[in-house]
Amino acid sequence: MLVAFGRELRGAGLGVGTGDAVTYAAALSRLDPADLTDLYWAGRVVLVSRPDDIATYDQVFARFYLGEPAMPRAGRPPAMPPRASTWSESALVVPDADPAGPGPGEQALLGLLASDAEVLRHKEFAACTPDELAAVRRMMARIALTPPRRRSRRTQRARRGAVVDLRRMIRDSLRTQGDPAGLRWRDRKVRLRPLILILDVSGSMADYSRHLLQFAYSARRAAARVEVFCFGTRLTRITGELNRRRPDDALERAAASVVDWAGGTRIGESLRTFVTEWGRRGIARGGIVVICSDGLDRGDPAVLDAAMERLARLSHRIVWVNPHVGGDPGFRPSTLGMMIAAPHTDLLVSGHDLDSLAELAALLPALN
Amino acid sequence: MDAPESVGHLTTALRARGYLADRGLATALFVAMSLHRPILLEGEVGVGKTEVAKAIAAAYERTLIRLQCYEGIDPHQAIYEWDYARQMLHIRALSEHQLADSGAVDQLFGPAFLIERPLLAAVRAGDAAVLLIDEIDRADDEFEAFLLEVLSDFQISIPEVGTIRAERPPLVVLTSNRTRELHDALKRRCLYHWIGYPTAEREAEIVLAREPGAAIELTRKVVAAVHRLRELDLAKPPGVAETIDWVQTLRFLGATDLNPASARDTLGAVLKERDDLELVSGSLADITSGA
Repeated sequence: MLVAFGRELRGAGLGVGTGDAVTYAAALSRLDPADLTDLYWAGRVVLVSRPDDIATYDQVFARFYLGEPAMPRAGRPPAMPPRASTWSESALVVPDADPAGPGPGEQALLGLLASDAEVLRHKEFAACTPDELAAVRRMMARIALTPPRRRSRRTQRARRGAVVDLRRMIRDSLRTQGDPAGLRWRDRKVRLRPLILILDVSGSMADYSRHLLQFAYSARRAAARVEVFCFGTRLTRITGELNRRRPDDALERAAASVVDWAGGTRIGESLRTFVTEWGRRGIARGGIVVICSDGLDRGDPAVLDAAMERLARLSHRIVWVNPHVGGDPGFRPSTLGMMIAAPHTDLLVSGHDLDSLAELAALLPALN
Repeated sequence: MDAPESVGHLTTALRARGYLADRGLATALFVAMSLHRPILLEGEVGVGKTEVAKAIAAAYERTLIRLQCYEGIDPHQAIYEWDYARQMLHIRALSEHQLADSGAVDQLFGPAFLIERPLLAAVRAGDAAVLLIDEIDRADDEFEAFLLEVLSDFQISIPEVGTIRAERPPLVVLTSNRTRELHDALKRRCLYHWIGYPTAEREAEIVLAREPGAAIELTRKVVAAVHRLRELDLAKPPGVAETIDWVQTLRFLGATDLNPASARDTLGAVLKERDDLELVSGSLADITSGA
């Protein structure tokens, strides 16, 4: 009975092992298995290990022990119901859909024997054929991505440093009958800052979002402390989905978990969700937040402003990647969302093609 | 009082110490104590994760051993450390002849020169202790690996001394604010309980248990106001600890009623962000209007 309940939970996506079922039985032996409340709490304490799973547990519990069909819990409202009132239709400047005109693509062709990789690297993503895309993907996977470092509180042996390594000195001094052989040092280690990628997958970014996702995938593979979120009208965390060995699996799973592909955009509300649900808990603290979006916001500008301000205070640096910046150095933000976000952004870079994404990757370590 | 006999006993014992645990938390603690499993408590800030460890230690007359985690905490600060200064003096005191003896080194790295840190202290104390590993999410993930041996077998291996094992393991309470996801290996060894915000009636009870002299009417109004604050889009919603602070502050100032004026003077006890203060100050009348 208890094992069957565990199996049911596993079927619903909870990580329940055989050992857990044993513990569940042991826990119940100290309680009253006939009491439904004990049955409920013992299972929740033993079999659930993250708050997101509680709702699922409640449902499975109701179905398994009470024979109820799926029971919607009142406690947690579904994330962000669409609110028509916050959609402002006016004051939006739609930028040129096809940004860089005679791009650097031609330049590469000038070199007669330039490899086809060179050509590819200068093409806009939007223009790539499936074959080229495969090549792009291969290349993306090779982009080395290192978030900037910071000094951590952890120390390691060093030739010279801030702290005397007493442990090593004692060991050494055994040889010299207690005379310290010389000072040994420890110094603080450096650690990678957390990197948070927030990708816009709405309609206006449809041409770029796949590649941004690919970029996110390579970032996730390259460094350990990377979190990836997607948003259109709502925010989805896809860090776990990208944790796959094969890029296609990862992308497929990530794509499946995002429900608002190529839809509308509510940057402000999505960023606010990020700040309240994730940022406040410390994911973004001291980290580099990279927002990839064209800044075409359909939501309330005030919400975006407040969210950006909070995010700027929470994180170490904010980088905004806007595909419409193109290669133009004198780019001025033309969309309302961009104008609002610009003062809170430390760096505005382009993400329209592979080279610019590679540039971004090269820029990151310097953002100390 | 050694270990609780039932969930009810545990709840009563905690209540006597001024801590009101709901059925879920009490069950979780009861299972943890009877199965000798560590328990991981997660929840919003200020809902009493740390307090419950203190209360249970007091209720069952166990010593509370607290390990506050921070970034860069390493085994020498958490488990044990050698007393280097004494070792150095000891070596100097030994003659050359004594030093040549292999026993000298053994002695040097023996129990006499071992400094206990919280984890070792807890394993040695066994079930006479409650080990509180506070804010484990602040430590880096490397540190979790050090905890695994302690949490699964309640034993500590010191290469120079040997393995120290707790015959009767201590109650281990871990708390986390979820600033990062803990490792599955660690979670698997722990029972898990999520502490949410209490209902208004319960919160009023909690406040009265902690502040026995507080007027019931004032308490109820403060709790209602705090609940309203939690519904707002605040950068940092107030926890139960803030509710208690607010009642304390109001009482200290001699306020008998929560009205816009007294709330304005004491809002700093509940809201700790300038943005939040600005957001709320406009609607104080609404928030303090009571039930």
